[in-house]
Amino acid sequence: MSVEELDPVSGHRTTGHVWNGIKELDTPVPRGVLIFLIVTHIFAVTWWFVMPTWPLGTTYTKGLLDTDQRKIVEQKIVDAEAQRAPWVDRIEKASFDEILADPKMMEIVKTTGHRLFGDNCAACHRRDGKGRSNYPNLTDHDWIWGGGPEAIMQTITTGVNSSNAKSRISQMPAFGRDGMLDPGQVDNVAAYVYSLSHPDYSTPERIKQIEAGRQVFLTTCAACHGQDAKGNQEVGAPNLTDNYWIYGGDIGTIITTIHGGREGHMPTWDERLTPAQIKILATYVYSLGVENP
Amino acid sequence: MIKQLTSSERQGAAVLLGLLAAIGVLMAALGRTGPFGIHGLIVILFALALLFPVLSTFYEPEPDPERLTYYYDDPIKAGIVLTMAWAVFGMFMGVWVAAQLAWPNLAFDAAWSTFGRLRPTHTTGVIFGFGGNALISTSLYVVQRTSRARLAGQLSPWFVLMGYNLFCILAVTGYFMGVTQSKEYAEPEWYADLWLVIVWVSYFILYIRTLARRKEPHIYVANWYYMAFILVVAVLHIVNNIAVPISWGSAKSYTVWAGVQDAMVQWWYGHNAVAFFLTSGFLGMLYYFLPVRAQRPIFSYRLSILSFWGITFFYMWVGSHHLHYTALPHWVQNLGMTFSVMLLVPSWASAGNALLTLNGAWHRVRDDATLRFMMVAAVFYGLSTFEGSFLAIRPVNALSHYTDWTVAHVHAGVLGWVALITFGSIYTLVPSLWKRERMYSPVLVEVHFWLAIAGTLVYVFAMWNSGIIQGLMWRTYTADGTLAYSFVDSLVAMYPYYIARTFGGFLFLLGTLVGCYNIWMTVRAAPATAGRRLDVPEPDGAGMAPSPAE
Amino acid sequence: MAELFHRKIERTAIGFVLAIIAAASVGGIVEIAPLFTIHQTVEDAPDMRLYTPLELAGRDIYVREGCYACHSQMIRTLRDEVERYGPYSLAVESKYDHPMLWGSKRTGPDLARVGDKYSDLWQVAHLTNPRSVVPESNMPSYAFLARTPLQTDDLRLRLAAQRDVGVPYTDDMIRNAAQDAYGQATPDSDYASGVTQRYGEATQVRAFDGVTTELTEMDALVAYLQILGRLTDAAYKHTAAPQKPPEPVK
Ligand code: HEC
Ligand code: HEC
Ligand code: HEC
Ligand code: HEM
Ligand code: HEM
Ligand SMILES: [Ca+2]
Ligand SMILES: [Ca+2]
Ligand SMILES: [Cu+2]
Repeated sequence: MSVEELDPVSGHRTTGHVWNGIKELDTPVPRGVLIFLIVTHIFAVTWWFVMPTWPLGTTYTKGLLDTDQRKIVEQKIVDAEAQRAPWVDRIEKASFDEILADPKMMEIVKTTGHRLFGDNCAACHRRDGKGRSNYPNLTDHDWIWGGGPEAIMQTITTGVNSSNAKSRISQMPAFGRDGMLDPGQVDNVAAYVYSLSHPDYSTPERIKQIEAGRQVFLTTCAACHGQDAKGNQEVGAPNLTDNYWIYGGDIGTIITTIHGGREGHMPTWDERLTPAQIKILATYVYSLGVENP
Repeated sequence: MIKQLTSSERQGAAVLLGLLAAIGVLMAALGRTGPFGIHGLIVILFALALLFPVLSTFYEPEPDPERLTYYYDDPIKAGIVLTMAWAVFGMFMGVWVAAQLAWPNLAFDAAWSTFGRLRPTHTTGVIFGFGGNALISTSLYVVQRTSRARLAGQLSPWFVLMGYNLFCILAVTGYFMGVTQSKEYAEPEWYADLWLVIVWVSYFILYIRTLARRKEPHIYVANWYYMAFILVVAVLHIVNNIAVPISWGSAKSYTVWAGVQDAMVQWWYGHNAVAFFLTSGFLGMLYYFLPVRAQRPIFSYRLSILSFWGITFFYMWVGSHHLHYTALPHWVQNLGMTFSVMLLVPSWASAGNALLTLNGAWHRVRDDATLRFMMVAAVFYGLSTFEGSFLAIRPVNALSHYTDWTVAHVHAGVLGWVALITFGSIYTLVPSLWKRERMYSPVLVEVHFWLAIAGTLVYVFAMWNSGIIQGLMWRTYTADGTLAYSFVDSLVAMYPYYIARTFGGFLFLLGTLVGCYNIWMTVRAAPATAGRRLDVPEPDGAGMAPSPAE
Repeated sequence: MAELFHRKIERTAIGFVLAIIAAASVGGIVEIAPLFTIHQTVEDAPDMRLYTPLELAGRDIYVREGCYACHSQMIRTLRDEVERYGPYSLAVESKYDHPMLWGSKRTGPDLARVGDKYSDLWQVAHLTNPRSVVPESNMPSYAFLARTPLQTDDLRLRLAAQRDVGVPYTDDMIRNAAQDAYGQATPDSDYASGVTQRYGEATQVRAFDGVTTELTEMDALVAYLQILGRLTDAAYKHTAAPQKPPEPVK
């Protein structure tokens, strides 16, 4: 308990209380603080007047601007579409050849396509479109469903084995698991398939096995992959003679494929993307291949 | 330490620990091999670990009755040790999770070590383990000194401290096992939440009873803040954690709140956990240790009043700034935003009050790293509250929300403010508690100071950069009105900053380890002070009795 | 004046306590209570459906693993978010979410509408090792999920507790919780039909992790991820955003 005293440094009085040696000065609240207080309050009160703010039982004050975050964003979406309408219109109407020949439209395809591809497709096909581990490479000119921009656009729109009503459907049956071929036959046909893309695999000691595999292939597989094993884009059966693989081209993986079958699932983008966005993506994917000779 | 308890108090402690062990047995029986059962085992082990020293001193002679004429500092000493232990643990986990974002394989393919499970061990470890123990210990120190009265209990301070640490242990071990309610900063499950209620009520009673013994009619500002911290955290904790367990033998529960109401309750809690845990409580610390160390009177009592009530009133309105542009109705967001702006005034008033208190003591700030810790803390407090009010403005939040900018703001607050003020206070407190002339090595305090500053700056600048880049990349439009970058493009841009942040955090952790060593050596080797009877309470009956308001 | 008043209350601990409680209560009451009384707060959505037991189990795993630490499930009312992730989230979409999982940090992308964006196979591959499909990713791998059998014996308790907090599960649903979880991930089993019967024709019944021999945590988590954003079409109904509501999976 001490009495009030004068602080020599600041010239202010203390409040007269002492707590274990701590004292307080009775300095008045600086004018700046009060002004600051008033300024922030004026800001707040103004905001309350113009914007929705105070709850009133079952409703709330709507504010003089009568606005709301949802109204604002809806307007922005509409405005954005209007802003894009001119070029969206052009892209929608133009043929693929026209788009590919038009540098301005191709610039949009490049920038917008990059983003759309990155957010939607890269998860499977990777940012560079080169796929890997069960997802096809889109830059290797080896197309399951056809590499023209129209075919690509169709694949993107409906997807493959997707929930879309018009989805492309494809299935590689599980020959081994479902007992259509015995394990020996699976090995043989796998050896044959492997030899198609690896000619030096056909050594004299393997030639019998490969020939046995060829017979199996012709009776069992050719229906989809064709007599020449070059695939069939109608049913999405890939070419087996080149060295581009979705699931992998080593003997082991080929055996796994033939044994257990495959049913690649490519989602439909009809709901998430607009027709113009899909067209941009189709052109983008197409040009990825063109740029990768 | 236990020898300072009378034999009946020791019996009380044994009974309490026996009860706790019985609860553990019950939990273990009901929960069997599930996480609830494992937590039962942990409770049993915890109780036994404490029972051991109690029983081994059970028949020791009665303590010297003169001890009651001293301040009761034993639990506070233990609290400081626990504070530093949790600091090391929590910050180590911080460095680890930071490193995981740069090198994701650091989870080593196990379940317990994935980012989602480790992150809350970091936040809980530092906020509740480090921060909470610091708050409990310093509050019990400050309330005794500013009331010039001994704590109103022999056993209850131990109960509060140990009970609280049991809560922290249950929380953190739970996350490793995947036990969490997913509510940020309130992740512990229903039984830990219930336990904390019991501990917290005891804490409040202990605090208020000690205050009632004070020999000075007026309650000092530091105690206003500590009291607001204790009270409001209790209210927030109870409301946010109401939940229905799926059975009495399971750790799993579902919160009663759903969807948009849950979001509002959660961030009303979450923001004010920041406000009353990480702000009010530490302002209490600041208001005691800064003037003591600077040997200056508080700059303005009136400013203290303005900032205290401003903070206590305004803070509770601003939680909705965590939900800008979400499905929470726009009107609530506007309340949150406007109150956040008004809140800046009381926040800066307290930062200013602290800095102006240093007028006349700037030479001490220059020479004394301990005081410098507190000075810089006040600066960071001002900085992060300014940043907070700025981030609460809707268009700014549109950019910053969901990004590392929030993380930058958080760590400017928790490293620059919370941790620095705590270290400053601890370096003042430790020599006083253990009756040493000074810290073992002032040079090491200086080293710690610079490691902490460097760590904080590297961390915060890295996250400011990454956060703003991230926010901008997500909304950059091409000239044709379409988005320019995919999400993964922004992720790729983050890696250099994640590495830098890990480095900054490592420096900060290093500083903390230096501090631990220094404290350890102070307790063991620093010279003792001569005048030991100086720091004692006013005997009961003497001096001013607390008088009612006139 | 004000200062004199303060000198009084700072002399009584109890008075000070009451003053703090009074000052601190106002904000919360004014902001929280009206969220229950103002009707527009939660939109109407008659088509809103419940999480199946398997999806709920998956949701609990999502909570347990702390996915919300990196992923939001809340698309804000901002143009860029709508263009990237789809229509902004409505309150009704998380009406049955105890707790909500809106999140506060996007280390990874928003997941509010990720349901059916990718195939089950992709989800499994990604969760098992994110970098096998997305080399740039820093998401942890959750390979253990596919190795861990899903615990179904407490699903009844989970549904019952959900009902206690207000989710309208029926007795029938609660009774059959474990069977329905099994049936939803085992399309060829006798239990599959009960799931669509109780939870609606649009329910996805598939071998989510690609294996029907065992019900794993991977099944549950993928089932949950594939339903995100698909509990109701409400968000698509009243917006100018061009995205269309997802078709039910057949
Ligand atoms: C969930 C994974 C996934 C996503 C996401 C995905 N795809 Fe695919 N995509 C596939 C799979 C699997 C196939 C192969 C389908 C098959 O087996 O026939 C495929 C095939 C394709 C094909 C046909 C390739 C050919 O050789 O004919 C094109 C073109 C394509 N995707 C483009 C895209 C685009 C563009 C996007 C984004 C809008 C996209 N994909 C997103 C999985 C995906
Ligand atoms: C019913 C049509 C059908 C028949 C019959 C069929 N396939 Fe296929 N096959 C497909 C389809 C469709 C795919 C592509 C699957 C996918 O993309 O998911 C495929 C894929 C493959 C692949 C994987 C190619 C890669 O790039 O990874 C191999 C290898 C293969 N088939 C071999 C065979 C062999 C050998 C047989 C006969 C034993 C056979 N297929 C019979 C339809 C068929
Ligand atoms: C360390 C942060 C982190 C954690 C924890 C995390 N994720 Fe991710 N997640 C990411 C990142 C980064 C991406 C983007 C890159 C990618 O696709 O891997 C991502 C992508 C995803 C995607 C694809 C989203 C899209 O639209 O492309 C899904 C689905 C997903 N995560 C689910 C989960 C689930 C479920 C969990 C918890 C079991 C989880 N994540 C935990 C960081 C994380
Ligand atoms: C060694 C120093 C530290 C490091 C390296 C560190 C690192 C991290 C990391 C990596 C995160 C996760 C950020 C994300 O999800 O992207 C985080 C979050 C967090 N940390 Fe720290 N931290 C440190 C110290 C502290 C301290 C001392 C505190 C508190 C006293 C603290 C409080 C928090 C909080 C509250 C969050 C959650 C932020 C949010 O959800 O936005 N940290 N920290
Ligand atoms: C005037 C004072 C303050 C205001 C108005 C304020 C405001 C904000 C805002 C707007 C956010 C971002 C919310 C989001 O977009 O998700 C935020 C986050 C956060 N702030 Fe502050 N802040 C203040 C002071 C502080 C201080 C001093 C600290 C720490 C000591 C702090 C700790 C945090 C934490 C931990 C978060 C992260 C919450 C989360 O998990 O998302 N804040 N704050
Ligand atoms: Ca909790
Ligand atoms: Ca957060
Ligand atoms: Cu906040």
